[in-house]
Amino acid sequence: MTQSPPLSEPTRAVRKVHKPSLGDRLAEQIPRLVVSPTMLIAVVFIYGFMIWTVVLSFSTSRILPRYEFIGWQNYQRLFGNERWMVALTNLGIYGVLFVVICLAIGLLLAILLDQKIRAEGFLRTVYLYPMALSFIVTGTVWKWLLNPSVGIQRFGRELGFENFRFDWLVSSDMSIYTVVIAAVWQSSGFVMALFLAGLRGVDDSIIKAAQIDGASRITVYTRIIIPSLRPVFFSAIIMLAHIAIKSFDLALALTGGGPGYSSDLPAIFMYQFSFTRGQMGVGAASAVIMLMGVMAILIPYLYSELRVKKDDR
Amino acid sequence: MANLYIDNVHKSFGETHILKGIDMDIADGEFIILVGPSGCGKSTLMNCIAGLEQVTTGRVIIDDEDVTQSMPKDRDIAMVFQSYALYPNMNVWKNIAFGLEIRKLPKEEIEETVGRVADLLQIRDLLKRKPSQLSGGQRQRVAMGRALARDPKIFLFDEPLSNLDAKLRVEMRTEIKKLHQRLGTTIVYVTHDQIEAMTLANRIAVMKEGHIQQFGTPQEVYDNPANQFVAGFMGSPSMNFIRCQVVDHQGDATIAMSVDGKDFHLPIPQQEKGVRERVGQEVVLGIRPEQITDVVPQQEQASTLANVDAEIIVTEPTGADTLTLIRMNDQEVNCRVHPARAGAPGDTMTFMINMDKAVFFDLASGDRI
Repeated sequence: MTQSPPLSEPTRAVRKVHKPSLGDRLAEQIPRLVVSPTMLIAVVFIYGFMIWTVVLSFSTSRILPRYEFIGWQNYQRLFGNERWMVALTNLGIYGVLFVVICLAIGLLLAILLDQKIRAEGFLRTVYLYPMALSFIVTGTVWKWLLNPSVGIQRFGRELGFENFRFDWLVSSDMSIYTVVIAAVWQSSGFVMALFLAGLRGVDDSIIKAAQIDGASRITVYTRIIIPSLRPVFFSAIIMLAHIAIKSFDLALALTGGGPGYSSDLPAIFMYQFSFTRGQMGVGAASAVIMLMGVMAILIPYLYSELRVKKDDR
Repeated sequence: MANLYIDNVHKSFGETHILKGIDMDIADGEFIILVGPSGCGKSTLMNCIAGLEQVTTGRVIIDDEDVTQSMPKDRDIAMVFQSYALYPNMNVWKNIAFGLEIRKLPKEEIEETVGRVADLLQIRDLLKRKPSQLSGGQRQRVAMGRALARDPKIFLFDEPLSNLDAKLRVEMRTEIKKLHQRLGTTIVYVTHDQIEAMTLANRIAVMKEGHIQQFGTPQEVYDNPANQFVAGFMGSPSMNFIRCQVVDHQGDATIAMSVDGKDFHLPIPQQEKGVRERVGQEVVLGIRPEQITDVVPQQEQASTLANVDAEIIVTEPTGADTLTLIRMNDQEVNCRVHPARAGAPGDTMTFMINMDKAVFFDLASGDRI
């Protein structure tokens, strides 16, 4: 077995040697041929434009691109701009609240739905439904609801509570929180679906074992089930965080960044500087900062995902 | 350490009746096996004993206390699950200690108990590992360790060995038996594997469709099955069932049999009195493969023996014996033959039928006659 005969001398005579035909070879290549246009489009329009944006962020471009390089000046102007700092602070407030509240509500809903209740399928759809709306629709609907003269405040006053106030939408201190409310309303159903899938994956007999061990229902959740959902928490946080960084349409439809620029988010800032104020260089710089923010979240995630695949678990 | 008494337990899910009146009286220290095909209600009965399911009617009495309404945690039982059900986020030490911590035992006592159990099951090296880092056999040990740590009145095992490979299953089977001999705690053990049932049990309860078909020692169940279902379920390869007629032959009731066109009579053993009264009727003869063998000369004088020449259809060597398929009354019959004396398919060889342990069943109901 260890010594194989030399390849030049076949040890056994054969009647015929089969070779693949031209058609067979072509068939083998078809998957590559089919995928290549998509691949090309992705390379040009995603990665190509990403690189172009980075290039523009170092140029003097204003309304139109100009390739006159000025180093880090656009970034200096960006971080010297008070409006950008407001947008970043808002992103901090909005991002943290959005992620934390979505996780809390999503987990709570998932646990409640997992109690073998009646009409679970119906309720699940109800909670998931906001996902089916676009952020623009959500923003518009909540704009009406939160508008003091037509929405919740007026409803409260018509019920007889004359001093009822709910005017966050028009308050420059509170307007960012209305974005949080609308975004949580839209996304917590999705987080619920993630957690529900995780809860369904928990082996029923683990819960039985814990019951026999004497654990109360609450202990079963806090000590065993929720800790074992750690991968779900991880995925949910990643998804919510990058949704938060990219948030644009919701805030634009709901508050338009206002009053003033009190509820500006980086994406709105980027849009306005690049396309309405003729400051493409600064806009590109803000886009690059956002890209880096998203990558800071996604790269560790992708890294851990791919590594897990390799471990075959 | 406790007795267990199950009094006329019924369990229904809506219109589906799973348990239809189960009675069992289990003495302190007995090893009881519930065995039966899937869907026979054995796992439901187990869950009712554990308190994970409420019984619809009937009583569950552990250690002379009626615990029918008690929560699982108040019944002082421990359970080992088929999927092991280890807490995935805790290491082995915490898995074993969890039940003790919940019961607010002092820290030193928990340390000592976990150590003792780890030594007993030889899992001391694994205490720092997470369940995902353990092999199937190791998880099985940890699951047993978790049950042992609690020192309960009754152990419940729900198909604990089904997820192990064949070799490990045999090893763990022996370990469970040793453990029972050492601890002497009452065990109720569910399995669908009749070999596990035979080897482990003090008494076996064979279940089917929500009823206990027979409750007795392994040898009783094997030699004296209550009906055709029990007879067919216990034993591997399973018992042969041959439709045949009871006839009067020279003034004695015998079984008429025909093999390859030759007619002959098989004697009815002394203890099978009921079947003698059914002359002229068709019955089902139950005879195990090891009772149809090659001719053993030193036994040939016994009155319950009959020799017959039959053509071999198929042979299946198992090493220790060769299973040989022949036809009797135009029905296939498995025989257990010494490998050296087994013929080839197509050959005719002489078989010795030992009717000493033959049993008879009613053709319609399948009940023992």
